[in-house]
Amino acid sequence: MWRNKTRSLVVISSIVVGVFAGVYSIAFMNGMIVQRVDSALSNEVAHIQINHKNFRSNNDIQDIIQNGDEVYRKIQNTDGVAAISRRTVITGMANTASKSTGVQVIGVNPDDERNVFKLYDKVIKETGSYLTPEKHNVAFVGEALAKELNIIRYEINDLVIDSLRKLEIPEEVIGKLEQFKGKRFKNEKLFFKKVKAELTEKESASFGRHIAKTSQRFRSRAKLTMTFLDKNNDQTGGNFRIAGLYNLPNNMYEKMQVFVLNEDLKALTGLEAYEYHQYLVKINDTEFTNEVTQSLRESFLDLEVLNWKEIAPDLAMTEDMVTQFYIVFMSIILAALAFGILNTMLMVVLERTKELGMLTAIGMNKRRVFSMIMLESIFLSLVGGVLGMLVSKIAIDISYAKGLNFANWEEGMEAMGYSSVIYPTIEPYWFVVMGVMIAITGMISSIYPAYKALKLDPAEAIRTE
Amino acid sequence: MKVLEIKDVHKIYNSTEISVHAVNGVNLNFEAGEFAAIVGPSGSGKTTLLNMIGGLDKPTEGEIIINNTNLANLKSKELIDFRMRNIGFVFQAYNLIPVLTAKENVEFIMNLQKWAKSDRDNRTYELLKAVGLDDRANNRPSQLSGGQQQRVAVARALASKPMFVLADEPTANLDSKSTEKLLDIMEGLNRKENITFIFSTHDQRVVNKARRVITLEDGKIVEDNVK
Repeated sequence: MWRNKTRSLVVISSIVVGVFAGVYSIAFMNGMIVQRVDSALSNEVAHIQINHKNFRSNNDIQDIIQNGDEVYRKIQNTDGVAAISRRTVITGMANTASKSTGVQVIGVNPDDERNVFKLYDKVIKETGSYLTPEKHNVAFVGEALAKELNIIRYEINDLVIDSLRKLEIPEEVIGKLEQFKGKRFKNEKLFFKKVKAELTEKESASFGRHIAKTSQRFRSRAKLTMTFLDKNNDQTGGNFRIAGLYNLPNNMYEKMQVFVLNEDLKALTGLEAYEYHQYLVKINDTEFTNEVTQSLRESFLDLEVLNWKEIAPDLAMTEDMVTQFYIVFMSIILAALAFGILNTMLMVVLERTKELGMLTAIGMNKRRVFSMIMLESIFLSLVGGVLGMLVSKIAIDISYAKGLNFANWEEGMEAMGYSSVIYPTIEPYWFVVMGVMIAITGMISSIYPAYKALKLDPAEAIRTE
Repeated sequence: MKVLEIKDVHKIYNSTEISVHAVNGVNLNFEAGEFAAIVGPSGSGKTTLLNMIGGLDKPTEGEIIINNTNLANLKSKELIDFRMRNIGFVFQAYNLIPVLTAKENVEFIMNLQKWAKSDRDNRTYELLKAVGLDDRANNRPSQLSGGQQQRVAVARALASKPMFVLADEPTANLDSKSTEKLLDIMEGLNRKENITFIFSTHDQRVVNKARRVITLEDGKIVEDNVK
């Protein structure tokens, strides 16, 4: 293998690059998916959800779970259940002085909610706090909804300028923003329109999002009016102060879900204290999701019991589909690798025609000649493969520690439900799978060159110049 | 003891236009310990005859019997194995494996035959000493002169104690001093190990050293002199 060092190094390098490209891409995509699923399960979707059979299709306030206390007890006593949260869910309208939009108003018990979800941890700094049982008639609102309803304003002042300097925004750009000092903008659209007009396209692309985020001003205890139908299908509603804003890498969720205290919502809708629309269950180990789901289904034959894969099939599909995607992607890379090795080994056989003729002449049998070519090919592949995986592992570990920041694409990514900071990650078993696939590729690639070697006539081969 | 019998061997190469009768009815016998040279002009059939003796080519007619084994009766795999155990080769262009040391080249065949390490080491050093290269055992071919490489090739050919050694123009790429030295070594080994040496050569120095000279012309033996 080392008689032509340059060629061997070129082949090994190409394998390293190919393997790195494949493994790192998989780690990147996997990181995105894992984060999405983790975020969804931590903040948006329960492991298991129990509701009235008609609730999801009708969204009717009347579709409550009967015998709530008994249901609660049964769930508590089911193996594998870690925590339960009960919710009241009403579809309604959220209004401010300037805008209105459709929302889902979710009544929660904050202490129970904390055991099932981590939304309390997603409060945006300086916007307030999560719900507490003592504070009534307050709403916990998503950032995207706050922007939609013009609850978030935009303002450039000295504090903002200082913050931008700390973010190492160039002075040239900051200079262009000075003219906006003291001015307030009702919403993001207006703000961007004015600011982008002063900046170049490159400056807007590079710094626009940082400037917007830093300039955001939340109106503390801003008022939100929500209207919906009560238990008797009469129009009702209430005024809520904003308790705080939350931010998730899922703009759609932020726009739709408003959280209030169960007590407050029941008071407005006429629902009894024990009447709930959803029981959300957190389980101890997601490996047993199906088992616990089945257990609960058997306990509640008259209710709908769904696990997260059924509630959010898009998430489940993403997880399932992406594995197949990885396999296809790696197969393409390995196919390219195979052709590279095939070409190299054919060159090797051609260059060593005389030597191969001699080896056959002095008594090396066909099996040995075949094995020799094959082993060289596998060795070449594995050296490149192992180095490639090593480089990938180092790159993945570094990226995971720091995160890859795609702030410039934050809006688009969050619109799709993905975080703009990606932490590449890959299951260790993929390295084993890659190693095996590389060895197999090396083996398969060597078949034709080995066959060519076997077909050589020793007498003629020896006479080759 | 007869080690090689060549019985009425012909080799005809057929192409679409011309038939070439490279070897035309050759009959020869070789005893153990012979030191023979096959001479003749280019195209006389020397190399073709040597290739058939070595099992690298098949006669169109006739038989080649080595130590009572008819090569024609051997299957491809058996022939390769037979060659490994019974025939040594020395080539014009040395044909050493460039990435192996002199020692590793010599013990290559013994490795193929799965000799025990101690036996392998002993035989290797014995042969390297016999060819005067025991101090160059760890050198690669690129670190040896042409003559030294050919001596290593001779040691390799003798490693597994074959019936006979076929040497096709072994001195063609060597200067006169190296040729003399090589021939002396080969003759010494021939006498010591009683292994038959059969040369195909144009080199008069080889002819002079040989104890039997067989002259081929147009694929036929025209002379067979034992000195």
